[in-house]
Order: sequence, then C-alpha cells, then structure tokens
Amino acid sequence: MQQFYKRIPSALLICLLSFQSWPLMASEAESARVIVESFQMALIDTMKQGKELGYEGRFNKLAEPVKVSHDLIKIARIVVGREWENLTAEQQTQLVDVFSKLSISSYAHNFKDFDGESFVFDSEEETARGGVIIHTTLIIPNDKNVKFDYMLKKKGNSWKIINIIANGVSDLALKRSEYTSILKREGFDPLITKINEKIDNYSKQ
Amino acid sequence: MKKFGHGINQRAAIQLAALLFVGASLFIQGCASTPTEGQADSSAQIDPYEDFNRSMYDFNSQVDKYVAAPVSDGYKYITPGIVQTGITNFFDNLKGINTVINDLLQAKFEQGAQDTGRFLLNTTVGVGGLFDVAKAAGLEHNEEDFEQTLAVWGVPQGAYLVLPLMGPSTTRGIPGAVFDTAANPATYVGYPVQLLSVINSRANADGALKFVDEASLDSYVFTRESFLQWRQFMATDGASGVADDDLLGEDDDFMDEDLSGGEAKSNAGKEKSSSVESAQPGLTPVISGSSDSALSQGKPAESK
Repeated sequence: MQQFYKRIPSALLICLLSFQSWPLMASEAESARVIVESFQMALIDTMKQGKELGYEGRFNKLAEPVKVSHDLIKIARIVVGREWENLTAEQQTQLVDVFSKLSISSYAHNFKDFDGESFVFDSEEETARGGVIIHTTLIIPNDKNVKFDYMLKKKGNSWKIINIIANGVSDLALKRSEYTSILKREGFDPLITKINEKIDNYSKQ
Repeated sequence: MKKFGHGINQRAAIQLAALLFVGASLFIQGCASTPTEGQADSSAQIDPYEDFNRSMYDFNSQVDKYVAAPVSDGYKYITPGIVQTGITNFFDNLKGINTVINDLLQAKFEQGAQDTGRFLLNTTVGVGGLFDVAKAAGLEHNEEDFEQTLAVWGVPQGAYLVLPLMGPSTTRGIPGAVFDTAANPATYVGYPVQLLSVINSRANADGALKFVDEASLDSYVFTRESFLQWRQFMATDGASGVADDDLLGEDDDFMDEDLSGGEAKSNAGKEKSSSVESAQPGLTPVISGSSDSALSQGKPAESK
C-alpha cells in the first residue's frame, strides 16, 4: 500500500505530462499547414503595403517570415548538391549568407503590390520520406490560378519549407540544376558573384 | 502589380509558373522528362548535346534580341489590348481541334467531349474564337498536344534539344511538333496569319522572358529545367513531381552522410546520422559565424 502512495506523485506527473502533450501533439500535427499559411499571410500583408514600403521595406518586413518558415541552410546545401562537401567552411558560410539574402530579396522584388490575390489551402499530404506537402492555390482575379505546393521537412520541433512547386515547376530542382552547373563550369566565386548581381538587380528594380 | 501587354497581369507570384508560357509562346514544341533527373550527375544524360544546345540557345537569343523582340514591342505598341486578347483567343481556339484529337488519342473521352463543346461554343457564339465565351460557361481550357500523347503511349523522352528559331524541345518533341503543326488550321492559311500567330505568341511571352532574365543565374539551365519540368507536369496532368520527394530524400541521405563526415569534414568515415534533425545542430557553427549576414539580422533559423 505504501508503495502505491509512493507511486501517486509519479503517476500524477505522468498524467500531467500526458495531458500537456496532447495539445502539443495537436499543434505539431497542424504546424506544417500553419507555417505555410502564416508565411502566405505575411506575403499578402507585404503586398498590400508593397508600394509604400518600397523594396527595402518589403525586404525588412519579409526577412523574418522567410527565415522562420524556410530551412534556408538546408536549401542552400541541397542546391549545390555534393559540391557542398568540397567547399571550405568559409565558403559554406558565404553561400548560406548570400543565398538567404537572395531568397528574401526575390520575395521582396516579386511580391511588390496587391491586386486582390489570395491563397487558399487545398490539402495536406505526407510524403514517403517523412515530409509534408501543403497544397495551396493562389487565386488571382482576372487571371489563371496558380498551384503552389510547399514541401516541408521537420527540423527540431517545427516544420520548415524546403521546396516550393509552382504549377509543377520545382524551385529547388531548378536552382539545383543552375547552381551545380555553374559550380561545375565556372567555380564557386563566379557563383557568388552571380547571386550578388541578382540581389543587386532586385534591389534596383 | 506589373502589367504587361494587353492587360495580362504578370504577377511575380506566378512568374515562375509563367515559365510555362515560355514553352508555349516561344514557338516551343515539347517533350516530357523526369525533372529530378535533371541534376548535375544526370544532366549529361538529359542534355548530351549541351555545347551544341548552348550555341543554339545563344543564336536564338540573338535573333530574339535583334528581330523578335523589336517586332513584338512594335506589335504591342500599335495593337490595342482588347485586340491582342482577341487574337490570342483566336489562335488558342484553332488549337482546340488538336486538343480534341489528342484527348481522344489519350482516351480522355470526357475531356474530349468538353473540349469539343468548348471549340464549338467559341467558334460560334465566340465569333470565330475571338471571344472565350466557353470559359465563362465553365469550360476550362485544357492543353493537350501530340508530344503529351506520345508520352502517355510510353515513348521515351529522348535528349533535350534546342532547335534553331524553334527553341527548346526533345527528341520526342520533334514528331510531336510536326503533328501539332499539321493539325492546326493556321498552318494552311498563309504566311500573314502564321506570322501574326508567331508575333502574338512572342508578345505574350514577354513577361515570362523578362522573368527568366531576372531570376536566372544561368538562363540556359533555367530554361532547360523549367521547360522539362513543365512538360513533365503537362504529360502527367499535374500528377508528377509534387509527391515525389526523391530529390529531397536523396539529399537527406546526402546530408546525413555529409554531416557525419561533416561537422564539417573532421569526422569523415563515421556512421551516418540517423536523421536530418539530429544532423542540423552540426550546421549551427556554419551560420552563426556570419555575423553580418541576412540571417544574423533576425532569429537564425536553426535557433528554432
């Protein structure tokens, strides 16, 4: 009987932890969708203020949402393929840095104003390798809708976007082909130079 | 957002997708492929004639810059938006016959019936196709062509090719283009109409071409990959690519492998990490070292 009483605190603790874990599990289950929808809301919000903000304003406003929702380090590694192994630590740092700037800059440049667009969630799908795909559609008034599929992978306790597929065109595959080709044909420094040129062009337009 | 030409909103958000129109509008006839194969290791398989293709790509770019683009700009300048839309609708409607034929060849009978109705409605009520009244009636435009039919029939894609003046294609795309051309009534009505079709297509592709120019680091590779992915997407009616995370899976393996050898490289030869998550902390020193980086301006991703 004494042993029974001794076990009460630990039993309570287990119950407590169990109850606490329920909402955690529930939030985890929907977090991939939440990550995507939060990011899309940030995009739409930025577009609505796009003209007033200007490029710099949009860049600053989108920097955090992009960094929080995307696994930029992993994406940067994937787009250079196995060449990553041949880069020095400094080069890896440089690549992740300019790639992150390019990603934010690209959003800031392209999502510059608002004309009634909206994102709609379509469905969620688990992939064979433990990822999740969030299928969404960008509704554009007076134009064709565009399918946006976000592929996410778990990183720690949260989901991160690692690929965006727009009407079947995979951004990750596209970039990977480009980056590996440039690395192979021209080398690392020209790749960084080209990325910086793009960032520069985006900021001017 | 930016407005191009005849009022088509060329939104940034859709501009990646608008690459699709590079294919359609740059007189490209196409092919399908496995996009995830288009990576460095297998690019030689997909594009065995890369040097030749790059030469052709450069040639086409020069022709576009000095001939097609100025003509297209002039065309857009003198043609009212509503007329351009009508011309686009007209030529799209003519392709409807080819769409129906390929619907049937791919055994898509229900879609074939819809596309037949679409063609008849636009040809009659839509005044010879100038107005897309079928869309308002809920009949969406389907894109089918003979190259897609060949893909459905199991004909291999073959090699990527850049044809003089015609642009991106593949070995399978060539017979596809020949068939599509033969099945298009515009082919038989004389040069002025064909020329108008080509100029109008180029004008519609303007936004997409600008996007390629803006977004690509290597416009040749960018065009090749987006073209091949788009054709795969079309051939599989949108079923390809999305659920296929082989690229990522492969990279997970690569990353695990890399990180085990990684933190960076000092632990080469150790066992693979069992998961990406466990591997991620190894990346932290890489990014945290970039004090003046964009990432360091806010919360670093890996701090989550």
